[in-house]
Amino acid sequence: MEGLQFPGRDSHSPGWYGLLIIGAALAHGVVRIFSRTTLLHAGRRIEYRIREDLYAKLLSLDLPFFAAGRTGDLISRFSNDLTNVRMLLGFGFLNVVNTIIVYVAAVIFMVRINPFLTLCAVLPYPLMILLVKQVSRRIFYHSKRAQEELAALTSHAEESIAASVTVRAYRREEPRIQAFRELAGRYLYSSMKMANLRGIVIPFMASMGGLGTLIVLFVGGGRVISGVMTLGDFVAFTGYLAMLIWPTVVLGWILNLLQRGAVSMGRLNAVLDASPVVAEDPTPAPVERIAGRIEFRGLSFGYNGEPLLKDISLCIRPGMKLGIVGPVGSGKTTLVRLITRLYPVADGMIFIDGTDINRLPLRALRDAIGFVPQESFLFSRTLGENIAYGREGASTGEVEQAARLARLEGDVAGFSKGYGTLVGERGVTLSGGQKQRSAIARALLKDPAVLILDDPLSAVDARTEEEILGGLASYYGNRTVLIVSHRLSALRGCDLIVVLEEGRIVEQGTHAELLALGGRYAAIHREQNLREEIERF
Amino acid sequence: MHFGGIYEDEIVGKAYDKRLLGRFVRYLRPYRRLVVLSLLLLPLIAAAKLAQPWLLKLAIDNHIVSGRMEGLPFLSLSYFALIIGDGLLTYLEIYLLQYLGQRVMFDLRVDLFSHIHRLSASFFDRTPTGGLVTRVTSDVEVLGEMFTAGIISIVGDVLVLAGIVGIMLWMNLKLSLVTFTVLPLLLYIVFTFRTRMRTSFREVRARLSNLNSFLAESIGGMAVVQLFNRQAAEQREFTRLNAAYRDANLPVITWDAALFAAVEALSSVAVGLIVWYGGGEIIRGTLTFGALVAFIQYIEKFFAPIRDLSAKYSIMQGAMAALERIFGLLDVEKDSDLPGFRSLAGIESPLMGGGRGEGEPSPIQTIEFRDVWFAYNGDDYVLKAFNLTIRRGEKLALVGETGGGKTTVTRLLSRFYEVSKGSILIDGRDIREIPLDELRGRIGVVLQEPFLFTGSIRYNISLGDEAAGQRVERAAEMVGADRFIRNLPNGFDEEVRERGSNLSVGERQLISFARAVAFDPEILVLDEATSSVDTASERLIQEGLTGLLAGRTSLVVAHRLSTVRDADRIVVIHKGEKAEEGSHEELMARQGLYYRLYQLQFRD
Ligand SMILES: Nc1ncnc2c1ncn2[C@@H]1O[C@H](COP(=O)(O)OP(=O)(O)OP(=O)(O)O)[C@@H](O)[C@H]1O
Ligand SMILES: Nc1ncnc2c1ncn2[C@@H]1O[C@H](COP(=O)(O)OP(=O)(O)O)[C@@H](O)[C@H]1O
Ligand SMILES: [Mg+2]
Ligand SMILES: [Mg+2]
Repeated sequence: MEGLQFPGRDSHSPGWYGLLIIGAALAHGVVRIFSRTTLLHAGRRIEYRIREDLYAKLLSLDLPFFAAGRTGDLISRFSNDLTNVRMLLGFGFLNVVNTIIVYVAAVIFMVRINPFLTLCAVLPYPLMILLVKQVSRRIFYHSKRAQEELAALTSHAEESIAASVTVRAYRREEPRIQAFRELAGRYLYSSMKMANLRGIVIPFMASMGGLGTLIVLFVGGGRVISGVMTLGDFVAFTGYLAMLIWPTVVLGWILNLLQRGAVSMGRLNAVLDASPVVAEDPTPAPVERIAGRIEFRGLSFGYNGEPLLKDISLCIRPGMKLGIVGPVGSGKTTLVRLITRLYPVADGMIFIDGTDINRLPLRALRDAIGFVPQESFLFSRTLGENIAYGREGASTGEVEQAARLARLEGDVAGFSKGYGTLVGERGVTLSGGQKQRSAIARALLKDPAVLILDDPLSAVDARTEEEILGGLASYYGNRTVLIVSHRLSALRGCDLIVVLEEGRIVEQGTHAELLALGGRYAAIHREQNLREEIERF
Repeated sequence: MHFGGIYEDEIVGKAYDKRLLGRFVRYLRPYRRLVVLSLLLLPLIAAAKLAQPWLLKLAIDNHIVSGRMEGLPFLSLSYFALIIGDGLLTYLEIYLLQYLGQRVMFDLRVDLFSHIHRLSASFFDRTPTGGLVTRVTSDVEVLGEMFTAGIISIVGDVLVLAGIVGIMLWMNLKLSLVTFTVLPLLLYIVFTFRTRMRTSFREVRARLSNLNSFLAESIGGMAVVQLFNRQAAEQREFTRLNAAYRDANLPVITWDAALFAAVEALSSVAVGLIVWYGGGEIIRGTLTFGALVAFIQYIEKFFAPIRDLSAKYSIMQGAMAALERIFGLLDVEKDSDLPGFRSLAGIESPLMGGGRGEGEPSPIQTIEFRDVWFAYNGDDYVLKAFNLTIRRGEKLALVGETGGGKTTVTRLLSRFYEVSKGSILIDGRDIREIPLDELRGRIGVVLQEPFLFTGSIRYNISLGDEAAGQRVERAAEMVGADRFIRNLPNGFDEEVRERGSNLSVGERQLISFARAVAFDPEILVLDEATSSVDTASERLIQEGLTGLLAGRTSLVVAHRLSTVRDADRIVVIHKGEKAEEGSHEELMARQGLYYRLYQLQFRD
């Protein structure tokens, strides 16, 4: 500028200045891109890491944890809460650094001009801090509510979508939508509370800056008039003060990010800090090979305090086939599930090969057990991948072999994509029986020492059941097998059958013994064969 | 290795921005007064902000410099009033924008959610829940960001821009044109960035959706993951999706920063050009120094709104990508848009005897499957030339091998899927002519896989329906569910956890059965409704239901033949075709499929 004002005093041409400005601009641009991308990329990378940690945590948590929460809530934490934390880490950090630099620099310059005036200028700031404290608390509170309500909204949506068929069959669309509307309304309300606070903070911060200017104008102006201060100093001072206004406003915004970030971090920590009750023993017993001897010694267990299984004692020798029957809710699933430590059991109650299962390495224990859950859960992958889930690195031949044992190969032949058929979420595109048989094939592929089948044939017809049982008989070999079933036909060939009722073993023995006993088992047997007798007549 | 590319949400293709924005603006329409108000506030706020330095200047020039103290208090007071006014107006503006944003999000959310509830069942066979949830929550949330960033002020920015361009042209045509030489470059940059950014944002949204789908499934299947010790494999897959999401985000940040820097740089380039060119002019004496300085100031002003716009640009592109997905889902055909579906609300239902509002609809006399062919995908026919007639009051049983198509028959009847060929007739009318709502209202289905909601047991039986609510206890009693329910600490008010995880499978089935009974439907469809129930309970149910089933049309699918023996007619389905039909005695006499099944089940 000077150069232009006094042309000729300098040897440089305007072109040179122009180029200088352009060059500086480009350099500035590059620095800007660099600093911004570095920080914000770092934010994304941190988000990635937190998400990895969160997922790793989930994989290590046990069923009681998942039973307590809802899927939608976890999804919300993984996306919405993590976003808040990332915003804090990226933008928040970027701006905090900026603000601090500007503040420190401006205050130093101001103090050098006039310490007293500086004091006056920062006079409104304690007021600001007071408000900030007040508002922070409320932002925290409302932000927490908003995040919780967003999670509730997500859960409702997740559940309604997963229940789409039920909702349609019972025409519950309108009430579900109405409930969603209510939840969305509640979230809207909390969000508006937040908006209100944000709306207060930002202009308030700006006003504080203005108030400082006002005081300076009044006090400083007076001093200039009375000649204590030069006009130049006064103008420079107001200039520095003006520099502070924008960072102060940004501070208000950061405050908001900070509180939201803190709330969300709290919600993430709730997951990260959760610890599974079913945990690996610090000094697990060494295992070579699990033979499959299972022992219950006075097993008592309850999901929530009151005992469900009561004083169960039973010894299952390796290679034995145990059948379990009993009315709905008598505890059959619970009993077999406990062997896999999906739920925590007290010490000294369940033993495998003479070792308390709580002492066994979790991995070794579960590797030794092939489990067919009562409800067949399949992943939305291909049928082949679902069966191969049984063992890492299973070959196509092994998958086919397992499918043959589970009597699935006929169905697969009917699918135009064969084992490459996508089965949909939870296996929705398979029939109930196909799903069940896929789950059986998956467990068989694992080649386990202990095979647990929880009502594995409830969705298949008599002929398929017959074929599967026939195939399984050859597969059993010297594996220990536990079968839960409501149909006695599935228990044919069991060495021992126990009858559970209200969490107790009320009868046990072989098929013949139990029939001779003439108790509950015999009654079930009679019931299931009653029609046959009528038929004979 | 990854799982055959299933968690791959499609990246929605190009949509026309104009159309997209047009649709979006429709959501603003109900709040147009607020939009106008927030726009009107903008110049007021600007005025309040601009007046502050001006007052300061007045104070310095007229009072401090000249040493006149009087009048200064008044100026200070005005200044104070301006600060307050500015604060209040800004507050109002922020609040308004947020309110607008939240309202629009609310409306979009409810629309999306309602729409999802009107999509056909086949849509859910292909679409993961997590992805849909993402659209309803995160994708909509992105729009909120747009309002928080003050998207409305874009209009203000554009106006300011136009004004400044006018002033510049008026002041000095030549210098303006020199300044505007950077514009083509700016436009070029903005345009290329738009495409790049949008592509990146589309990817970001899709990746997030994949991540959520995977996560939702993982949570549901955690027991299986742990039972099979497959944590490492799942973590690997998660890492792949997570990294893909992160990597999709990185370019967005770079583009955003680059655009911001480019605008800054271009504004400096413009100043540089003016200094260069204008400097020459001054030397030649064709331009005054003052004019040059003023012009440079205008260039600063000219770039201010552009800078503002570019800062919002990436948020805009992100929002557009989210809008593409939201409207993409809203464009999926609804059930009621399916071909052949003519009867909508307001049109008289063909099944209602007499006119509307004349009480009870006339009972259904016959249901007929006439030469029905059906395939879920392409040509894989699951039902082939299937014929079946169910008469009023009849109990019809459907038996057959698993995967034979029994469930499919019940689904077609409730019209969850459309027949591929042939037709299903109720009293001679194609079910496609009956409003879905009415059709499903008359059919009560016990689905093969019970679904339980979080909520009380009572809610799970009545599903919030008032009439059904009256019959909850009675229904539970009829299916023998009341025994276990009354044993629970809170009885019917016991809380059920997600998917009924705190109940045994048999208990869930009983509740789902009680639900159908409580709705007291005209036609009852039982799809393996007692498969997980013990024999004693099953007998109880049968006894309890005899009253209920008497005179009621029912379609029963079961594997345990004891349940279907007393049916009026039994149909055996084999590989999608009707293999046999007749009463139990007839079929036994025939010694065919049914006979063999029966022998198998009841041999000792
Ligand atoms: N996760 C859980 N939390 C709390 N209670 C549970 C849980 N799982 C089961 N229960 C309760 O424990 C009891 C026994 O359940 P379990 O699943 O072991 O029964 P079951 O004998 O397998 O019945 P079914 O024949 O219906 O499969 C039931 O009353 C059930 O409500
Ligand atoms: N939603 C679906 N998408 C694709 N195929 C399906 C779907 N549901 C069922 N199928 C297939 O249709 C066939 C018949 O299934 P279904 O009617 O459920 O048999 P079931 O007689 O056991 O009830 C099976 O081969 C099954 O894999
Ligand atoms: Mg069970
Ligand atoms: Mg079925």
